[in-house]
Amino acid sequence: MRNFIERPRYSCALGGALATVSALPGAIPIMHAASGCAGNFAWAASGGTGLQIGGHCGGLSVPSSNVQESEVVFGGAERLREQIENTFEVMDGKLYVVLTGCVTEMIGDDMRAVIGEVTSPERPVIGAETAGFKGNSYFGYDAVLKCLFRDFVEKSGAKVKNKVNLWGIAPMLDVFWRGNIEVLCGLLTRLGLDVNAFFGERDSLDRLRTSSSAELNIVVSDAYGVEAARLFEEEHGTPFITVPLPIGPSGTDAFLRKVGEALSIKDSVVSGIIEKENETYYRYLDPLTDPYNDFDMQRYAVVIGDCNYSYGLTKFLADDLGWIPELAVCTDEPKEELAEVVAGRFATLESGLRPSFVFETDGSEIIRHLSERWPSSRGERYYHAFSPAFVVGSSLDRELAASIGAGHLSVSFPIVNRAVLDRSYAGYRGGLHLVEDLLGAIVAGR
Amino acid sequence: MSYFDEKEPPKREDRLQACIAHHGTICGLANRKNCKCMNDGDRLFTQGSICQLLPALAMMDSFADSAILLHGAVGCGSCAHAQNAVTKAGNAARGRPAKDTLWLSTALDETDVISGGEVKLGAAIREIDSRYRPGDLFVVVTCAPALTGDDVDGVIRNIQPQVSARLHAVYCQGFKTKIWATAYDSVYHPLGRDLLGLDPEEDEPVFTGDELADIKDEYRRKHAVNVMTVSSMGRVDELELQRILSSFNLTANFFPLFARPEEMYRVTQAAVSISTCPTHDDYLLDHLKEKYGIPCIISTMPIGIENTGQWIRDLATFFGLEAQAERFIEQETAELKSALKQFEPAFSGKRAFVSAGEIRSFVTAGLLIELGFEIAGIRSFHHDEYADAEYRKLAAKTDQDYVVNIANAQPFEEANLLRKLKPDIFLGHWNGNSTAAKLGVPASVIYNTGLNFIGYKGVFEIARRLYKQLTNTAYNRKLSVHVRLPYAESWYGEDAFKYLRQAGGEASA
Repeated sequence: MRNFIERPRYSCALGGALATVSALPGAIPIMHAASGCAGNFAWAASGGTGLQIGGHCGGLSVPSSNVQESEVVFGGAERLREQIENTFEVMDGKLYVVLTGCVTEMIGDDMRAVIGEVTSPERPVIGAETAGFKGNSYFGYDAVLKCLFRDFVEKSGAKVKNKVNLWGIAPMLDVFWRGNIEVLCGLLTRLGLDVNAFFGERDSLDRLRTSSSAELNIVVSDAYGVEAARLFEEEHGTPFITVPLPIGPSGTDAFLRKVGEALSIKDSVVSGIIEKENETYYRYLDPLTDPYNDFDMQRYAVVIGDCNYSYGLTKFLADDLGWIPELAVCTDEPKEELAEVVAGRFATLESGLRPSFVFETDGSEIIRHLSERWPSSRGERYYHAFSPAFVVGSSLDRELAASIGAGHLSVSFPIVNRAVLDRSYAGYRGGLHLVEDLLGAIVAGR
Repeated sequence: MSYFDEKEPPKREDRLQACIAHHGTICGLANRKNCKCMNDGDRLFTQGSICQLLPALAMMDSFADSAILLHGAVGCGSCAHAQNAVTKAGNAARGRPAKDTLWLSTALDETDVISGGEVKLGAAIREIDSRYRPGDLFVVVTCAPALTGDDVDGVIRNIQPQVSARLHAVYCQGFKTKIWATAYDSVYHPLGRDLLGLDPEEDEPVFTGDELADIKDEYRRKHAVNVMTVSSMGRVDELELQRILSSFNLTANFFPLFARPEEMYRVTQAAVSISTCPTHDDYLLDHLKEKYGIPCIISTMPIGIENTGQWIRDLATFFGLEAQAERFIEQETAELKSALKQFEPAFSGKRAFVSAGEIRSFVTAGLLIELGFEIAGIRSFHHDEYADAEYRKLAAKTDQDYVVNIANAQPFEEANLLRKLKPDIFLGHWNGNSTAAKLGVPASVIYNTGLNFIGYKGVFEIARRLYKQLTNTAYNRKLSVHVRLPYAESWYGEDAFKYLRQAGGEASA
C-alpha cells in the first residue's frame, strides 16, 4: 500500500477529462470546480506536453463555476445552472460537457439534475463525474468517453460494414496523440475501413454521434478506454478488440493482422499492405546502415512510460531496432487483472529478450530496480557495465540518465524539453521518427 | 494577537478588502473618494483561473534542500511540471545543481475522502523523511482534506518528534479565497512561525571575544537590505537590483525565492526590508517589523524609469543618501534614455494593452508610456490598496481616459475588449497571451522568469523585446486568419462587462 506518489506523471480525473473534452472538435467543457483547477492543468501542460496547451477551448478559456466558500456552505447547483446558461451565450459550442471536481462532488451538488433542466437537442449538455479523488487523468479520459457513449452517441440498429471506431490514445497524456491518431487512421483507411477516431483531423461531433453503427471498436491500449469499450458494447452492441499501441514495423504488423482478423478481411489484403509498408520502412532505413554500424549505435536501454508506451517502446527497441532493453517501467498503478495483462506482454517479445518489468510510480526508485537487474560495480578491474545505455522515458528521467551516463529521449509525459505538434511514434512512420529522434540524441553533440 | 498565532492566515478579501471583479477607467479609479475601499463585484459567467496553490508552489519549489508534499487528490500540484523548469534554470543561474524539484502527492482516493486522510498523511511523512531526507518538508493542504476536516497541524505535531525534517503546514485550499495572492501569506505563515527564529547563533555566547568580528557583523547588518523577491524575478533581475544597491554600498539579501530554509533567519538581521511588488509581502514585512524591529519600505515595483527611480529614492532616503541617489538616478536615466532613442520611431504613437498581476500591469503601462506608447487599456488580476498610488500616477500621465478591468484572467472579457480596441501590441502574463495572439495582435510576455524586466536594464531589455516583436508580426497575424477563439460571434457585439455585476457605491467609475 503506497502512501504517496513522487512527481505524479499524470494529473487527476478532472485534468484528463478536460484534456479529452478540449480535444473534441466543437465541444465546450464546463468545469464545476474550484477556480484553480483550470490553471493547474494549463501549467501542467505548459511543462508536460511538448509545448501544446489547451487547444480550441482549453487553458484559461474553459468555462468554470469557480465555486467558493459560499457554495461549499449553501451548495453550488444554482451557480452551475447560471454558469451553463451563460456559457450558451458566450461560447461557440455544439456540445457542452460538465465536468465535476473534488469540491462540488464532496458537497454533493446534483449535477445531473441541473443538466436535466438545461439540456436540449439544439444545445446538448452531458456530464461526467471527474473529481480528482476518483482517479488519475486516464480515469478522466475513460469517464468522458463513457459519458459520450452513454449520453451523446445515438442508438442505431444496423451496423455498417467496414466502419470502425478507434480510441485508447488519451489526448495530451500521450503527448504524440495527434500524430499517432492520424497515422493509425491512415493505415486502417488503407485496409478499406471508414475510421472514426473522435479526436482526429477528419473527425467531427456528427461522426461521433453516429459512431454506434460501427461494426468494431479498436482500442489501441490494454488499459485506457477499455471500460468505455465495454459500455459501448452494452449500449450499442459493437464488439471491441484491444491491441497494444503499435510502434514500428513489428508492432504495427501485429496490429494490422489483429484488426484484419477481427473484421475477416482477406489475408492477402492485410499481408499486401504489411509488405508494402515494410518495404517503405526499410527503404528509408537503408542509408542509415553504415552510420548505425560504424558508430556502434546499439544500446542497452531503460524504458519508462505508461501502460501504452512502456510496452510499445520496449517492443520497438527489442524487436525492430535491435537494442537491448533491460528494464521496462510502467509508471501507472493498474488493478491486478490489468497489471497481469500488461506484464504478460513483455514475455512475448519476438527477439526473445526478457527485460525486467516493474510497476513503479516513483522515478527516483528506478535506479534501485536497475541495480537489481544489473549488478553494480564492486571495484573489479574488468566490470561489465550497463553501457552504452539509453533511457527512453519522460523529462523527469533525465537525472537517471545522467547518473548512469546514458543518452535520453523524452517520449512519455511529462515532456518539457521538446516541441511536439504532429509527430507520431505509432505505425511504421512512427518507427522511423523514433529512430530519427533516438539516434539524433546520440549524435546531437557531434 | 498576531495573524501568525493563528493556524492559517486570513484571506485577503478580509485582510485587505482585495477584489477581482470590477470595471472602470484609470481616471475613475484614481479619483475615488474613499481610496482604500472598493467592494468586490461578481461575475455570472466565469472561466477557470488559478488558485493559491500555483503561486505558493512557485515559491516553495525554489526553496533549497526541501520537499513539498501535496496533501490532496493526485492532480493538485500538476502545475509543478512547468514550475520545475523555472526552478531548474533558476538554480543553474545561481550556480547550484539544476535538480528537479522534489514534490510528492498523497494522491487521496475515494476511501481517503470518506474515512479521512490523516493516517495516510502521517505514514507518507515518515516514509518521505526516511527515503529523501529533506531538510524541510512543506505539507500543502488542498481542497479535499480541508473539506474532510483532516487535522494536518495535529498530524504534524504528533510526527515531528519522530522525523528529522522540519515539518510545516501550508494552507492552500482553492475554494477558500478568490484572491490567489493570499498564497504569499500562506507560504510566509509557516516561515514566520517556524523558520525565521531559527538563528544558529542564538545558543552561542553574545560576546565572541573578537571585537573586529563584532564590528564587522554590526557593519554588515547596518548595510544589509532584505530585497523581497517574487517568483517572476529571475536571477538577471536580482543582479540588476544588486548592481543598484552596490552603488550605495548596500548588500542585498534576496528573499524568499531560492532561499535555504536553514538560512532564512538572516532576514531578521538586516537594516531594512524593501518590497519589489507592493502586493506581495506586507504580511511578512509587518511581522518582521513587529517581531524583529526591522522597518520596511513598500512603495512600488522597480519597473520603468520613473518607478525604478522612486524605488531607489525610497531606499536611499532610509539610509540618508538622498543626494547620492539623485546623482545616480540622473546619470542612469540619461544613459538609458539616449540608448532608447533608437526605438522611438518604432514605438511612437503605438497603442498597447496590458494584462497582468495587480502592480505589474500598472507599472508596465507606465514604462510603455515612457517608451512612447499610448495605453489602450489595462487588465489587472486583482485590486487592493497597494494599487491606488499606481492608478494616480497613470491618471496624471494621460489626457485620454482608458478602460481598467479587474479580473482574475477571464479572457472572454479580454477578447471582447481587444476586438473593439484593436491595440498594436498586447503585453500579458504567462499563459495569458493566446487570446490576443489568436486575434492577430502581437504579444509580449510580461512574466517570464529569466527574462529581464526590472530596473534600468529591464527597461532597455523590454524595449529590445518589443522592437523585435513589432518587427515581424507574421506568426500571430497568420494564426488569426485560420484559428478562432472559442467565443460566439455574437459575444463580440455585447458589452464586455455584460456578466459583471459591479458592487454599488463610489467604486464604479
